[in-house]
Parts: sequence; structure tokens; C-alpha cells
Amino acid sequence: MAALALGMAVATAALSVSLDVGDRLAQEFRSLGANLLVTPQADSLPLEIGGVDYRPANAGAYLPEADLGKLKTIFWRFNIMSFAPILDVPVDAVAVNNSAVGPLRAIGRTTLIGTWHDREVPVPDGTTYETGIEKTNPWWHVEGKWFKDNSTDCVVGAGFAKRYGVKVGDVLNVAATDKSTGMALTVVGILTTGGPEDDAIVVSLAMAQQLANKPGQYRRLYVSALTKPEDAFARKDPKTMTPAEFDTWYCTPYISAIALQISEELKGTDVRVIRRVAEGEGNILTRVRTLLWLVTFAALLAAALAVGASAAASVIERRTEIGLMKALGASSGLVGVLLAAEQLLLAFVGGGIGYALGIVLARLLGERIFGFAPAPKLFVLLIILGLAAVITLLGSAFPLRRASRYDPAPILRGE
Amino acid sequence: MPTTAMFWRIVRRLLTANYARLFVILLALGAGAAVTSALLNLQIDAKRRLTTEFRALGANVIVAPRESGTDGNGATLDEAVLGQLPAHHEGKLVPAVAFLYVIGEIAKAGEIHFEPAVIAGTEGHGLTEIRPGRRSEYVAALESDPEACEVGAKAATQFAVHAGDSLQLRNEGRTASCKVFAVVATGGAEDTQIFTRLSTAQALANLPGRISLIQLSVTGTPDSLIRFIARLGQSLPGVDVRGIKQLAEAEGRIYNRISGLLSATVILVLILTSLCVMAGMSNVAIERKNDVGLMKAIGGSVRRVVRLFLAEAILMGIVGGLVGSAIGLLVSIWLGKAVFGVAAQPRWIVYPFSVAITVVVSIASAFPLRRLASIRPASVFRGEA
Repeated sequence: MAALALGMAVATAALSVSLDVGDRLAQEFRSLGANLLVTPQADSLPLEIGGVDYRPANAGAYLPEADLGKLKTIFWRFNIMSFAPILDVPVDAVAVNNSAVGPLRAIGRTTLIGTWHDREVPVPDGTTYETGIEKTNPWWHVEGKWFKDNSTDCVVGAGFAKRYGVKVGDVLNVAATDKSTGMALTVVGILTTGGPEDDAIVVSLAMAQQLANKPGQYRRLYVSALTKPEDAFARKDPKTMTPAEFDTWYCTPYISAIALQISEELKGTDVRVIRRVAEGEGNILTRVRTLLWLVTFAALLAAALAVGASAAASVIERRTEIGLMKALGASSGLVGVLLAAEQLLLAFVGGGIGYALGIVLARLLGERIFGFAPAPKLFVLLIILGLAAVITLLGSAFPLRRASRYDPAPILRGE
Repeated sequence: MPTTAMFWRIVRRLLTANYARLFVILLALGAGAAVTSALLNLQIDAKRRLTTEFRALGANVIVAPRESGTDGNGATLDEAVLGQLPAHHEGKLVPAVAFLYVIGEIAKAGEIHFEPAVIAGTEGHGLTEIRPGRRSEYVAALESDPEACEVGAKAATQFAVHAGDSLQLRNEGRTASCKVFAVVATGGAEDTQIFTRLSTAQALANLPGRISLIQLSVTGTPDSLIRFIARLGQSLPGVDVRGIKQLAEAEGRIYNRISGLLSATVILVLILTSLCVMAGMSNVAIERKNDVGLMKAIGGSVRRVVRLFLAEAILMGIVGGLVGSAIGLLVSIWLGKAVFGVAAQPRWIVYPFSVAITVVVSIASAFPLRRLASIRPASVFRGEA
């Protein structure tokens, strides 16, 4: 009985974890960062090196920030995990040391990146949605604080801070390269990204817009979306699909379908899939999922073996009773049916207890390994009860058959 | 010694007394050992495989000048740094590619309207690993035609060029031309750039022997990557060596999840195995009551009797472990193929380890034999419980 309950508990835990974990793993991969890039359609060629656009503020096209709430109205809106608009502005910076009446130190030309930190975006359906660069790029770490939206706070890249001796609390005077605008920024944090942002100043989008004199506009939008790994069907050109195929494609969270939906909602944009991230993610996700099912299968197999063996053992233990029943005139068939019924009852009780234990075990494992607790599913209970019944019957069938052939006399004599 | 001979004789009889039970216990131990060795082997292999998969995402280490550029045509490194990089890390090649970025002006051959664009000169070994695209063919093409270049998809649209067309490159009065070998689409910044030979970009920028940065793709676990970066930073004092955190963090996270999952499964399976064996052993205890009673009656000490049964358990553990672990290793080769598309390499260290675990489990499962100690010969012979 203990073996039965425990075996079924393991089976329950394995099933519920792997049923739930697939989706969670996909979310895990979003820590790789954005997989979609939105840029203006009619644009001059971006002068982008390592993620920073070196175009002067007056060159190229911009997109309206006010439209961004529409991202959460597309068909797969719940798969849009986060997004962050970016506006790069080349600036001339001067550091003012805060501690004393510090000397002014010219830093020279550098890049200022305007983005959202945590921003409540109004969605057209009346709700708001919180997003920002910290969610799209979770590997960005800030020592100190992030800037508040619409404040003159800024965070500076670690490389920048080290090179110019800038500390939290310092003030940076920045001016657009054509000297038309300028402002004083207070450093509130040091940013480490491992990318080119380590050499830049990062401020809230509103400040960058002021400096660039482009109110309410941005240049690039990074979108992080949960997607289904691309298969052969996803790679088909949507233009050559039949209407039915197109519907299926459109209503599957393939990255290409989400890209199309975004470009439908944000007019005048060019939505590109960041292949490197999207493909790598798809590949690894498929592999990890296969692995997960394999492991589940192994656990189920071991559970079945344990339950079967314990069922066999419990029948062997009942030899004396079987002998007695037969001595009192029970037929072999009746003994078999009786014991089978008993085993079935045991299976249901044990399976039920196992299920309850398994839910706890799944919570424990899920939280420890994947950082979430899988939700109990009722159909797992049905599977478990069915499995328990089949395995106990199979496990006890062999000893039962032998038991039904026992000659009662030697057993009762204790031989 | 007659006692030893007798000991093994009894053990042999114990083992062969009930073939069905022996089979069940051996099956349980074997299956447990098989699952243990297969999953442990897969766990080691998953680390290697995942690392390789993540390498498909491109470079993970960047060597850049310490003082960074103030704009696109910023600070540069000496080209010679490329030659100073280690060619191998932990026995694996380290592809390294030098880049020089120039913001120049581009026009299609025959046109006079130039537009600014980023020209990236590249050189090094392992372009295929660093950047997605038809790199190997491009590298081959460069051999025969030094003017071959690759154009990002967005840049190609902008300048209306296709493979086979020619481009004019211009920067501060210096000019060059190149022949478009292929149009590449990656979804990243590369889509807006034009890739040429390093020397072409250096000539355009008038920066002979200089490069903007070097990208490396280092195969290894996150920990070994950190060591690699630290060592490289020490040996190249003038430059900034940094890892791309984006990849390292995601990789570490995913591997920890997988490894946790596999370990948890191994533990659960071992618990189930031991339950299975325990069920078998408690049968042994019941069936052997009479024999044990007899042994005790003729003067066998409890320790000696228990030792008999322990010897039986260990023997079964060894046999089950040896056979099961071997099967598990074989299965894991196939599993590696199913999961990662490449057969897993059997690690021989896994084999003795999983055999040892199986023996330990079988000894631990002999727990029900404790009951034998409390058997009183007299009551057994009277036919009582």
C-alpha cells in the first residue's frame, strides 16, 4: 500500500510537472531578450553598431509612442511578454562632481539611450500594462536605483562610469550635438549589461525625446513574445497559403504570425524577427521538451514497476488465507475474483492517496527546480487511478494465478 | 573453510529458492540502475549539448578597446590582438573574428546618390560560428575574389541591390568597390550593414592595422567561460574583455533547470526501486521464517543469519547494478540521439557510480529483514506466527 501510494505519487508529480513545465520553459527563454524588432517602414538606413544607432537626431523616421498600447490588442496579446521603445541620441556630456564644487570634466561625445523603465502603458481597452527595459532585457543589472520615468535621473553604463570616474549622485550636463537642447541629469545607478550600453547613458524616454526634440517619438521597439517553435508549416510563405491554412497559421503563436499582427496594429512599421534569438530558442526549447517527456516516461516506468512488484508481494503474503478459503470450498475463480476486487479497491485508495501526495511533491519539485507550482489537474487524477488499477491487476495476476492453483492442505499445515 | 563454503551454499539456495521473486527484485534493481545511469549520463551530456546549442546563438565574448568610441568611428584596437588570442579552450577551437566598423557612404554601382551606412570589415577564423548566414560560402568566395561582400537584407532593399550587383563604398574621399556575394537576413543589426574584407574597411577608414572589436565564440559551461574571460583579461591588459551576459545568464538558468529535473528524477526512481526491493525482501522474511527459526535453534546468531540475507541483497545489487547500468548507458546513447540529435557519449565514470548506488539501495532495502531478529524458534516450530 505504501509502495502503491508512493509510486503513484511519483507518477502524479512527474505528470503534473511536465504538463505544466513546457509553457514555463518558454517563459524562461524570454530571459534571452526580445525576439522582435519594430522599426519605421520608410526609414533611412540605421547606422547601427552593436545595438546603438549613430544617426543624428534629424535623420531618418520615427514612430509615435502613443500607439504602443495597441500591442496589447493583437490576437496573441497575452503572448506579448514585454516591450520597450528605444531612442538613441548622440550627446556631448560634461560631468559635474557632486562632492565638492567639483571641477567640470568634459567627457565628450557619447550616446544617450532613452527607454522605459517601469511604465504603465494605457491599453485601448481601458486597462494599463506595466512594462519596460528591465523586463525585455532581464540581464541588465543596475547598482543603485533605476531612473523614474519623466525625471531627470539617469543610469550610466559601468564602463562609462569607470572611465570617467562618475559615481552615483554625480550630475551630468548633456547637450544635443547641435547645442539646441541640453539638460542636467543626476546619476542614480550604474548599469551593467555586457553590451554597448555599458558605455552609454540611459535615461527615461521622455528625457531623450526632449534632447532630440522629438516629443512622443521613438526609433526602435523591442518586443519579447512567447512563441511556438517554428515547424515546417510555420516556414511556409503566408501568401501561398489557402484561407484555411492562413487562419491556422494566424491563430498559432508562431513568431512570424505575431510579427504580422504587430505590423497590422502599428501602422507604417517594419517588424523583423531577431533570427538569432528566435531560432536558438526554438531549437533548445524543442530539445528540452523532449527530454522532459523522456524523464517523465522513465519515472512512470519506475513507478509502474514498484507498484506491480508490491502488488505481487501483497498477494504472496495472503497464502494462508487463500488456502483457508479454498479449504472451505471456494473455487479458484472465486478466490481470484475476490483478490482482484481487493487489489482494485487498494489501487483506488492508494492511487487517491498517491495523487494527493503527488500534488504536494509536484509543488515541491516545481518550486525548487522551476520556481513555480504546477496547478493540480483533475484529468491527471483519472490517469493515475486508471494506471494504478491496470498495474496492480497486472502485478497481481501472476501470483494470483499461482495462488488459485494452491493445494490448501500444505499451506494450512504451514509448509 | 567449511563455514564459508556453507555460507555461500546457503546464499545460493536463498537466491534460487524462488525464481519469480529473484526475477522481480533483479528487474527492479536493474531498471533502477538503468534509469540512474542513463539519466546521469544524459545530465553530463546535456551540459555539453546545451552549450553547443547556445553557441548557435553567436559570439559570447567580446574583446574591445578599453576607452570606447565616442561615435561610430571611435577607438580602435591593434589588429595584432587577434593573433594573441588563445586558439583553444578546453580542447575546443575558439572561433574569433575581428570587426572594423566604418560609417561610410554607399551607392549602387553607376549611381551618384550616396547614403550613409555601416561598413563592417571582418577577418578571422570561424566566421560561420560567429555570424549566421551563408558564411562558409562567403569565406570561400573571398579567397577567389577579395572584393566580395555581403549585404544585410535591409541595406539591400535600401540600395536596391541583389547578389551579383556591385556597390561603391566611400568615406572621406577614399573609395572602394565591392561585389555583392549574398544578401543576409538575421533580424539583428547585421541587416543594415555591409560586410567586406577587413583590409577594405581599414583602407576606407584610413586606419591600417586597426580593428573595432573581436568577437569570440567560446564553448564551455558558464563557469569555464568566466575563467576564460578572466584569464584573457589578464593576458591582454590593454583591452576590455567581456562576456555577453544575455547568453550566459539564459544558458545557466536553463541548464540548472534541466540538471535539477534529472537529479530529482534519479532520486525518485531510486526511492521507487528500493520500495520494490523492500517488498520482495519482506516476502523473503516471511517465507524464510521456518529456516531462520531452525538456524537459530541450532545456535546461529542473529548477526550471522542477517549476514546471510545481506550477502544475498548485495549479490543481487551487484548483478542488477552491473547489468542495469550497462543497459542504461546504451539506452542513453540512443536517448541523446532522440533529444539532441547527436548520440550521447557514454561517460565511464557513470558506470561504477551507478553500480555503487544500486548496491547501496539494495542494502538499504534489506531493512524488512530486521524482523528476522525477533523470531523465536520455539513459536515458529509450534506453527505460530
